[in-house]
Amino acid sequence: MNVDEKDGSGVYQRVVLKNSSPYHYLKVCLVLEDELTRLSAVELKHFIITGLKNLYGEVGAALSFDLLKYDEDTLTALLRVYSRGLVKLWSSLTLLGSYQNQACAFRVLQVSPFLLALTGNSRELHLD
Amino acid sequence: MSVFMDLNLTFTEDKSVLQRMIETAAQLGFSTVAINYMFEPKAKKKPQIPAPTPITELMDQLPVVQGRSRPIRVLNRLTLVMSDSFHFRSTAPEYRCFDLLAVQPTTEKLFHAACMVYDIDIICVSVTERLPFFFKRAPVNGAIDRGVVFEVSYSAAIRDSTMRRYTIANAISLIECCKGKSVMVSSAAEKALELRGPYDVTNLSLLFGLSDKDCKEAVSSTCRSVLLHGETRKTASGIIYTVKSCSEASDQQEAPPQSETCEAPPSKKQKSSVTE
Amino acid sequence: MSVDVAQAPPSLLVCERSSFVEQNNRVGSHVEQLHFNYKVSLLLPECSSAPSHLDSVLKGFSSFYLIRKLPIYELLNKDFLETAVYHGSVYGLSYKTRVDEDTCVALMPNGRLCLSLDKYSFQLLGFEGTRSRFRPKDRHIVSVDLTNNSMAPGGRGYLRLLTGLMSRLPLSMDFLLSHHPGGGASLQPLLSRYDWSEHRPEMINQVLPHLSCPSDPKSCDAQSFLEWLGAVDADIGSENSSSSFLSSFVCPELKTVLSRALRVSICGLLLPPDVHRLIQEVRRYLEQTRLETWASLTVHGFADSPVSWRDNEHGHLRGGENFYTLLMFQDHAYHLYLATGAHDTCPP
Repeated sequence: MNVDEKDGSGVYQRVVLKNSSPYHYLKVCLVLEDELTRLSAVELKHFIITGLKNLYGEVGAALSFDLLKYDEDTLTALLRVYSRGLVKLWSSLTLLGSYQNQACAFRVLQVSPFLLALTGNSRELHLD
Repeated sequence: MSVFMDLNLTFTEDKSVLQRMIETAAQLGFSTVAINYMFEPKAKKKPQIPAPTPITELMDQLPVVQGRSRPIRVLNRLTLVMSDSFHFRSTAPEYRCFDLLAVQPTTEKLFHAACMVYDIDIICVSVTERLPFFFKRAPVNGAIDRGVVFEVSYSAAIRDSTMRRYTIANAISLIECCKGKSVMVSSAAEKALELRGPYDVTNLSLLFGLSDKDCKEAVSSTCRSVLLHGETRKTASGIIYTVKSCSEASDQQEAPPQSETCEAPPSKKQKSSVTE
Repeated sequence: MSVDVAQAPPSLLVCERSSFVEQNNRVGSHVEQLHFNYKVSLLLPECSSAPSHLDSVLKGFSSFYLIRKLPIYELLNKDFLETAVYHGSVYGLSYKTRVDEDTCVALMPNGRLCLSLDKYSFQLLGFEGTRSRFRPKDRHIVSVDLTNNSMAPGGRGYLRLLTGLMSRLPLSMDFLLSHHPGGGASLQPLLSRYDWSEHRPEMINQVLPHLSCPSDPKSCDAQSFLEWLGAVDADIGSENSSSSFLSSFVCPELKTVLSRALRVSICGLLLPPDVHRLIQEVRRYLEQTRLETWASLTVHGFADSPVSWRDNEHGHLRGGENFYTLLMFQDHAYHLYLATGAHDTCPP
């Protein structure tokens, strides 16, 4: 972290924080072969932990992440993970290929160091 | 940086599976995909190379790439799994039906030949078994100099945890040898759910030891240079090859009079049709 | 070679604290310098409906136009330059193009045209440019000031760029366009030649009941305040206990519960002058209201714009985020947070 501080008049203050985001946020959607299958939030979190454990072992399973929001109907979730764990969490989501013997895939829709950015993605602008 | 591509969707007889795969690839943001015909020549018999199914027969209308206004581009590719040197016939006319030509060598000798001699575009790195040989710097550098690209595919790693180990191990030893240059990462998916988005693949490639920048190139610029390599390979035998250059004529009709004095030199024009 | 999977991807956050009454406060210039805004999100605590003066500003955001398959050389058209670019400011941005894959074009209000090209297109265009800061090997930026003498119609640079765009690199793409203050009238001659449509920014009003909120946003640290604000925008509940299995996300320390809050969001191609007007009205609202309160305004830039603040190059590695949040208080003090992801220059 790099802090550069200018405090001229005492009223005006400017601070630049580099790589200061403690967390990264992911918007993900689970696609299942049988589209009628539904998972509860707890099941989804367990499933992701299984993926972490398969790829990174016990150390991976201990990586803490939060399920901030989950919509059971669309299987869409918002995840929060410590920035240092982003690559690990993301790669284990990528390599998850089956849920209870049916094929599945996690579609990572957006990744950002700021939660605010997930609600303002200009790639979602559809004008037709 | 060029558009994202996945130059390896495994061909299956089942048209609907193939259609689903192409649709999913477009949804995920891939602008170009190639349908891969795997071919393993049997010993002694004269090999019968499959003919590719024309894309128009496969799909009436190609799906639009996500967030873009253009349809996806679909190519054909042939992969020869080689266990003997006579499996590759450099002049075989059947090869010309395919946009891309790849080989998967199973011995060190064949790997060396593929890197240094064969007129091909892609060398596949096996991801379903322990490598039967080590990568040596000389042939790998030779391949990079000739514009031949190495391919690592990830869908085996999704299917099975043993394969996952082989995929990661083989990819790391390749990338240590070539220092991340001329590597493309593709899916080799057999169904739509085995495909992953371009940014997912980029992130996954970090595990193979690629740098942030090389990761993105592995699904974009490197693939583009493979396509250009494939195009020039097809034209190398001295046949005149023409590409319809995009509506240049119509643009010039609307041009204000100034343009008449500044026509593009013919050499530049030719270049534009090749890079199209 | 070691595989480092624990490396955090880069990001930048600039925090600025000052007061509107301060002579040299820079809110106005920051707002103006982020040219291409996609979304504005306003949060007013303890408010159930916006007062009429605020509502009229929210509804009064300028419309913008989408032109299909616009050849880029049309932006150099003499009439267009004279009617639109030289008088007032044009905001133009290519639509359905991605800055990490395709060619992107932006026409900035200061009359600068910026083309973000891959190496091959750049070579074809044959016009001088600079290497991209983030991808020096395969991306080039051509940035020209159309109001400069050499770019006047008939000038040398002008003809060179025009022929490049007409014959060697005939770019055409869907284009978002807006004009301040002339609106559609100034763009009409250009629009009439192509397939176009007019779009109004889309507004969504929502009253959020019982919202837990940090009791003193003034002293709350930047990261956790922005996270809380993001949670409000994404409708994430913060009523967890920190020991919960699913999520340990909680509202920052010393929370209070607001009985209600109004959230307004507007999406489209939004112009900085409109955002500026909105800020003035929010300040007026804060002055008039009796409760001791605050207001926050978040403005998101386009992820695929080739520029972010000023003429600074903007890229897209994973997210392409560029946004700012302005937190305003009743005593005219403000906090301004400017945030970008990887592949972006530091905001001014």
